[in-house]
Formats: sequence, C-alpha cells, structure tokens
Amino acid sequence: MRPIDPRVFQTLPEVRRIMAGLGALGVGQGLAAVAQAFAVSTVVVAVVRFGMPGAPGLLPTLVALGAVFVVRAALGALAEMYAARAGIRVSAALRERLLGRWLSQPVDRTPEPAGASTLATQGITSVEPYVARFLPALVGAVVLPVFVVATIAVLDWVSAVIVVLTVPLLPVFAALIGKATQDRTERRWRALTALSGHFLDVVRGLPTLVTYGRAERQADSIRSVSEAHRAATVRTLRVAFLSSAALELLATISVAIVAVTVGLRLTYGTMDLAPGLACILLAPEAYWPIRRVGTEYHAAADGVAALGSVLDELGNAVDPTTAGSPLPSSGRLGSTATITSTRPSPRPAQGSSTDTITGSCAVLNGVTYHYPRAERAVLDTVSVRLPAAGLVTITGPSGVGKTTLLELLAGLREPTSGSVAAPEAHLVSQRPLLITGSIRDNVTLGVDNAPNDDALWATLDEVGLGSDLRGLPDGLDSPLGDDGFGLSAGQRARLALARASLSDAPLILLDEPTAHLDERSAALAHNVIRALARTRTVVVVTHRPDLVDLADARLELGGDHV
Amino acid sequence: MSSPSGHISDIEAAFAASAPGIKRAAVIGGLASASGIALTATSGWLIVAASHQPVILTLLAVIVAVRTFGIARPVLRYAERVRSHDSALDLLARRRVAAYQALVPLTPARLGRRSRSGVLTTAVEDLEDLVFAKVRVVVPVLGLAIAAALTVLALGLFAPAGSIVLFTVLAAQAGVSALGRRLEIAAQADWLRARADVARTATLVTGYAAQLRGLGAGPQALGWVRDAHRSLERATRRLAAARAAGVALGHLVTGVGTIAAALVAQWAMSVGLNDAVAAVVVLAPLAVGDAFVGLPDAMGAWARARGSEARLRSLLDQPPAVADLSPGRGMESEGNSGSELELVGVAAQWRAGDSGDGTVGGKRTAYDLSPVTLRVPAGEHVVLTGANGSGKSTLLAVLARQLDPATGTYRLGGVDVTRMPLAAVRAHLAVVDDEPHIFASSLRENVRLARPDADDAAVESALRAAGLGAWLNGLADGLDTMLGTGGRGVSGGERARLALTRAHVSGRPVVLLDEPVAHLDHATAVAVLADVRRAFAGRTVIMVSHRPDGVDGFDRVVDLAELAAASL
Repeated sequence: MRPIDPRVFQTLPEVRRIMAGLGALGVGQGLAAVAQAFAVSTVVVAVVRFGMPGAPGLLPTLVALGAVFVVRAALGALAEMYAARAGIRVSAALRERLLGRWLSQPVDRTPEPAGASTLATQGITSVEPYVARFLPALVGAVVLPVFVVATIAVLDWVSAVIVVLTVPLLPVFAALIGKATQDRTERRWRALTALSGHFLDVVRGLPTLVTYGRAERQADSIRSVSEAHRAATVRTLRVAFLSSAALELLATISVAIVAVTVGLRLTYGTMDLAPGLACILLAPEAYWPIRRVGTEYHAAADGVAALGSVLDELGNAVDPTTAGSPLPSSGRLGSTATITSTRPSPRPAQGSSTDTITGSCAVLNGVTYHYPRAERAVLDTVSVRLPAAGLVTITGPSGVGKTTLLELLAGLREPTSGSVAAPEAHLVSQRPLLITGSIRDNVTLGVDNAPNDDALWATLDEVGLGSDLRGLPDGLDSPLGDDGFGLSAGQRARLALARASLSDAPLILLDEPTAHLDERSAALAHNVIRALARTRTVVVVTHRPDLVDLADARLELGGDHV
Repeated sequence: MSSPSGHISDIEAAFAASAPGIKRAAVIGGLASASGIALTATSGWLIVAASHQPVILTLLAVIVAVRTFGIARPVLRYAERVRSHDSALDLLARRRVAAYQALVPLTPARLGRRSRSGVLTTAVEDLEDLVFAKVRVVVPVLGLAIAAALTVLALGLFAPAGSIVLFTVLAAQAGVSALGRRLEIAAQADWLRARADVARTATLVTGYAAQLRGLGAGPQALGWVRDAHRSLERATRRLAAARAAGVALGHLVTGVGTIAAALVAQWAMSVGLNDAVAAVVVLAPLAVGDAFVGLPDAMGAWARARGSEARLRSLLDQPPAVADLSPGRGMESEGNSGSELELVGVAAQWRAGDSGDGTVGGKRTAYDLSPVTLRVPAGEHVVLTGANGSGKSTLLAVLARQLDPATGTYRLGGVDVTRMPLAAVRAHLAVVDDEPHIFASSLRENVRLARPDADDAAVESALRAAGLGAWLNGLADGLDTMLGTGGRGVSGGERARLALTRAHVSGRPVVLLDEPVAHLDHATAVAVLADVRRAFAGRTVIMVSHRPDGVDGFDRVVDLAELAAASL
C-alpha cells in the first residue's frame, strides 16, 4: 500500500493545507514532548539533589513543568479537533466530487448501483480514519524521531548513536515481517471475508428461510461457521500482532540499552544525572511514533483502498472524443424512424433562445446506441429534428428504444455514434422520482428558483392535484414517504407533470406519463401536456391513441427491431 | 419452533452471554501495563542510584528488573491481544446464534413493514459492535484498574505518601474518563444522526443519479449532500471537542499530579526517603498517565455500544406476531382436506398503537386491516389492490401466517389455522416478498432451499417456468453459478424471477406475492406477471399490488377498500 497517493493533491488541493496543518501540530507536539522530558528530568534532579550545591531550584522547575503540561494539553486538544475535522472535510469533499461526477457523466459510465453506493457511503467514510489518524501518525513518525535524536545528540552523543542505529531497524523489521507473512495473510483473508459475511447473508435472508421452514436448522451452521471464522481469524491475528509485538520488543530493548549505558557511565562518574535522565525519558519518544504508524495501518488500509477507487472514478474523466466507440456510421439515415408532421408547428409565443440559434429545439444526427453488454444496437442511425415548440409523440413496440431515445435527448446517455444537440431537458421517467420529504420538496425538485406558494398551488390546480392536497393539515409541507408513499399512481403522475411545468427547461421529455391513469385523469393530464407544448418542446413516449391524436408531430420507432 | 420461554432465553443469551476469556485477557493486559509503568520506575531508580557511583554489583538486580519489565511488556501485550480477540470472537459466535434464534419467531412481521433487510443488517452490525465493545472497553478499563492497583500497592511498600498521591491522580484520571464518556454520549446521538443522514442522501443520490439528472435536479441533490455534510461537520466538531477535553484534562491531571508528587517526594526525603525512591514517586504519575492514553477511544466505543444495545433490545424484545400452539393441545390433524382459503371477519394490526406508515390524507383506524370476509377457492388467481393504508400487505401477512388475526377466523382447507401447528400451515404457503434475498451460494442451492429434495431436473424446470430459461442457458457454470455476495450479480427482474422459481419448486399449493414487481420497470413488470400466471396455473395465487400493470389475466381483482366496506 502506498501511504499517500499523489493524485490526492491534484484532486483535492485542500489536502496540502491539511497536511501542512498536521505537520505543524506534529512539530509542536514533538517540541512539547522534548520539553516535557527536559522539565521532568529537571524536576527529578531538583527533588533528589535538593539543597545540594548546583541543584536547580524546585519552585521554578515546577512552574516550568506546569507550563509544559498546559502546552501539551492545549496541543493535544487542538490536534484531536483538527484531525477529526480534517477527516470530515476530506471525506465530504471526496463525496461531493464523486457524486457531482456521477450526476454529470453518462449513466452507463457509472459503476453498478450497489458498488457505487457502498463506495459513496462506507468507502468514503473509511477515508476519515486515514486522514484523521494515519496521516498524523505518518507525519509524527517523520518529524518526532528527528527532533528527539537531535536533542539527545546535544545531551549525549553515545545515546544518540544507539538511537540512530536502532530506529531504522523498526521499519526494516516491519517490512521483513510483513513480507514473510504476506502470502499466508492474503490467502487467509479471502477465506475470512467469506466466513465473516455468512452471518449477515443468513440473517438478511431470514424472511426467505422462514417462509420455507429452513430457518431453525441454520442456527447450527451459524455456530459452526462462526467457530471456523474465530479459528481462522485468530490464526491470522497471531501473525498480524506478532509484527507489532516484535517492534515493541525492539523498541524497549533499544531504550533499555540506552538506560544501561547511561547507568554505567553514571556509575563511573563520566556523566551527569540530569542529561542522563533526560536521555532515558526522551529515547522512547523516538520509537513510539514509528510503532504508531504500524498500529494505525490496519484502520487506514480500507481508507487507502477506498481513496484509490474514488480517485480512479474521478480520474477517468475521459475526454468525449475517446469515449464513444469508433463504429463507422452505416449511413442509413432515418431508416428506422419516420416522422410525420400533422400540422404546421405553432410558433412559440416568445422566441426561445435555442430557436434563434438553430431554428429547432434539438437535433439527433445519425444516432446509434449500443447498451454496454448488448449484442445489437437498440437505436440504429436515427436522425430527428425537433421543433422549437409543440408536442411530439414517440410510439413503437416495446424494446425498440423509446426510453433510450429520451435518455439520449436528456444527455443521460452518450450515443455510440452520431451526435445529439439538445438544450437543457426535464425528463419525467416512467416511475417519476419522488423523495422522502414534503410535497413542496417534491414539486420543486429540479426547479431552480422555487416560486411562492400561490404559484405552486396554481400549478397544482392546473394538473388537478390542488383539491386533493388542500385538505392536508400541513399543506405543501405535508410529508411524503419514500417513493411517494401515500400517493396513488395518478397523483404521482400529476405531481410529476406539475414539476415539469414548473421547471424552466425548454425541452420536456415524458416517458409514458399517463400509462397508469384512468380515462378521466388521463384526459386531464393530456390537457396539461398540450398546454405545456404551447411554449416548449414536449416529447412524449406513449401508447395512448388519444394523446397521439393531440400531437403536432409523430415519431414512430421500430419496424425492423420487432 | 421455539417456545415463548425459549424465545426469552434466546434474547437474554444474545445480551448476557459472557466470555471468561475476556477477563483473563484483561488481567494479562493489566500486567502488561504494569510492566510498562514498572519499566519507567525501575529505569528512574537505576539512573538515580547509579549517579551515586555505587559498586556495579549492587545495581545488577535493578538492571535485571529493567530488562525483565522491558521484555514482559510486549510479550504480555501480545498475549492479551490474541486472547481478547479470541474470546470476543467466541462470544460473538455464541451471541450470534442466540440473536438469530431470537430473530426467527419475529421474522418477518416484527422487522418493520418496509426495508426489512436494512433492519436486519443494522441488527447484525449492532451485535458486532456490542461484542467488540468488550475488547475495546472491558479489556483496557479492567486492565488499567489492575495495573493501577498493582502500582499503588508496590509504591506503597516503598513510599506510602507517594502512593497516596498516585492514588489521587488515578482517581482524577478515572473521573476524567467518566466525564469524557458523558460528553461523548451527549455528542454522539447528534453525530450518529448526522452520519446516517449523510449515508441516506449519498445513497439516494447514487441510486437515483440518472433520474435526478433527468429532472435537472443535480445541483439541488448536491445541495442536500452538502447540507448533510455541514451538519456532520458541526456534530463532529462537538464530538471532537468532547474527545479533546478528555485528552487535555488527562495531560493536566498528569501535570498537576507530577507537581504534587514532586512536592511530596521532597518532603518525604526530608524525613529520610531514599532519593532513588523519591525519583520513582515523581515519575509515577507520568508513567501511569501514559497508560491512560488509549482510554478516550475506549470511552467512545463504550458510548457507541450503549446505542447499539438499545437498538438491538428494542428489536428483539418484542413478542412474536404469531402464536404457535405447542403440540398436543387441541390440535387439529394435519391432514386437512384442501387449500381453499377463507377469512371470516378477519381484522389485524401490526402492533398496538401503530397503524402504518402515516398515510397522506388517510384516516387512521383501530386496525391496520379492518374486518374482511374473503373466500379464495383452490386454484384461483386473485389480485389484491386498494389505496395505501387499506391493509393489503396486512391481509397478505395474515394469509401467510406471519401475523395472527386480531379478530375473526382464518380457515385453510376448512380448518382454523390457529388450531394447527404453525409449520404445518406455512408448509402450504409460498411467500414472495418485494425484496427476495439471494444467498451467497450456488444457483442450485438458492433454488433448492425451497425444497431440499429437489433434483437438478426439478430446479431447471422451475427456472424455466419462472422465465429464467434463457438466462440459465447463458450461464457458463449452469446451476453451479455462484450468486449473491462475491458471486454473479443479478438484476431486479432476475431476482424477482428467482423468488418465483423458489415458490414454483416448493410445490406449495398457495402462492402469496407481496408487490413482487414493485421495484421493476413497466415492461419487466408486465413480463414477470405473465410468467406468474403461466407458472402457477392450477395453484392458488394471491398477489398484492398497488400498480395495475399486467393484472389483466388474473381471475379476480379485489379492491380491499370495497371489500372492507362490504364486510361491515
């Protein structure tokens, strides 16, 4: 594992500042630790040599000691708060970037949902201990030993030599032990993951097991698998803990060597008590920061892996020229699409901006689309020019790519070949998205400047939802459950239409907006759709003949794909 | 089936089962900490004694002590870590079995009405948290207490006054830890809520990225995440402040303790205390303070475990939703005549004081399901619809024997189901819910769990009947294909169809479907339901659906609101 991925600094420039802050605090704590060792050794000397010539006065040394502890307390508290906040800052920034990326790139480049959601939640959260604990430990391991050795060198060069010779043994030892045990650990790790997931798997499947009367007998398998997990884990841990134990042993032996050589020289009178004591108190400070890196390593490993995945995701912002596949266009322009105009498209009330530029709202030019693992293209060289306002219906048998066409227009998918030029669109999918929140939250979803309540009610009245909702005790602030729990299918469809008419997108795309509605609700919805089409381009995928009858233009997909 | 008393003992075992090995590990850990303290003390002693330039021989005993403690500390620490993890995993194994057995009679009706797999996942995590809190809390706290007692006693042998100072310092450190724990508990609730909120918004945005983008709501969605992060940052700041207070106070206690110890040591020397012992008295609070360094983390784990325990208890401490007659008490014979279902004036509720998920504009009635009378002859295909809150899912839960009727009678093949053993009734019923679980196992085992004696031919024909024939043909490993975690991923449609496969292979005469296509798109939903009708021809099918997609071929559509009104 690489302790620091250099890509972090490019993606998150703020990490530089955080590292600097951690470094400054590390230096401060290092200085305080050195000062504490000095202060304590001076106090000890002042006590045991009290009243003897040359002994330091007790009172001033105690005052100094108190000051050092106050500084240590302040720095310790500061480091704790800074590290925790740095962890949150970094994880928040990573998550916002990652989700921002997923909200802007074509959907087929986003990883599969379960993995994506794990990465965006637990994955990124595991970066927090990496930033808040591992990085400070890393900084400390670099800064502190240097300080301590320099200080000891000033006091007593013999001790300094011992420390300088033994400190590098720690990382070398750690690397050797790690290498020796790596294979065994990795082999076991895979088995371990399977074993540890067993209980969760069985428990999540409990409803199924209960249904088929298989639940009771699983208790025995839980017992035996948990037992196997325990045995395997302990075998792995014996090896894993061995390395930290070996490092601690190495460190204590080194400190003991310092203590004994100092002791001997004191006995021979070639050394003074005060520097000797300071050396012994200082020596452990050179070793533990390095051991701490080892301790935090395990907590950080998940974070490093997650960080790598996030940076991969953020890094694969391939430029559009290489994204599409180099399939040659077959040139059968419009072979699968026929567009028939039934009446001249009405001029928009006021010229929209897209109209003035291109004379049409959106253009699909020879668009072919392949689903990533599909054998054949769902859309093959389709060319469509949409008017700047008016109602366009798309019909065709199921599986012919109607929804895909809407998604291409909305920019959710990138054509495999050909080009799409479309303004900002508002796409209402077959199951309109409703979130846990108030009616207001839902109806203003995707609406940049939320209008006032009167305007919201007016829009809800237009879609025939006003009378249904006015009776609610909290009005627009009444809560909706997730997935619109509490609304009927018709109410959901109408809410989605209200939302579409509130959005200021010049292109409205509706996927089967009235498929689930009874005749009366459908007729009402069709009026709303017709009204929307007066000022904007409305593209509707539908099976309903009455809606097709209202269209200014019709697009039939299909034929050779059935 | 576990009896009610068995259920209660399972619950107790899930919380109270203890592992003596953990205490033993704590003792070893205490000795390791004591060795560390002794190492500092003997080193100080050695240096001061050596400064008098005695004959080296007189120092040999102390030098040996320094080395012994220096080696003992890492060795003992290693033993403690291995042992404590071993015992914790042993405890985890036993508590898992107990918690699982306690969960079985509560499944599924007591797991909440929606997203049960989320509830179960949380339960698994809470149980783990609770057990590992033993390692993170009991071992360091008990170990420290042992080390502290040993240190106070040992110092008392040489310098009683110093021992009193040390005892006071230890008491103050313990007080700081207790305070830290309280601050932590106070800050943790907000923090956990903020953390859950971040996870919720991030999951929402990830799951609906395409739809949000289609609505042009991308910036808004990022705004939710940003808001959630801001509250998390605030909550983290509070939590970190609690931690920081503990850290700072710990340093201050050590500092004040060292100053007090120095003054006491100086006084003790004036009444004849050996100067090497005086050095040990001065160094003792510092040495002990080092051992307290890990304690704020332990306090955090303790506070967290408290929340986990409360959550797990409120889940497990529920009475089962169905009573199972113990054998031999007015039991009807199992050989009932058929699988006609008959409900007479049956009402039900999930639990007292809870009438569902808060419907918009819905009226709250005493029961989640108002009394209904319904007869479904064997082999009929029925769709149950009705507005939210009309009790569709409640009715299905009653039919599936997941929930006891509160009033009325439910007869299966003419026999009152409450007079038959639960397992016997359920053996007639195959239930397909809206979130079927795919186990981390082979395709064969995933299907065969519904009928363990099914051979490969039966499994294959069930797969084909459920519309998975083409899918099966495309699998290189066929029935040996590994599914679930770590295996091949399955789509929502495949998942629903695998659940139908299980129901099919089980051969059970009554198939109950609870919103089987709720999470599928329109086209897939219609296709799946067409397969349902074909695959279960001849068997009774009762399906709850709030969507009218593809229900045309069913024999009867029952609107629950009308049914309840007619039953009045």
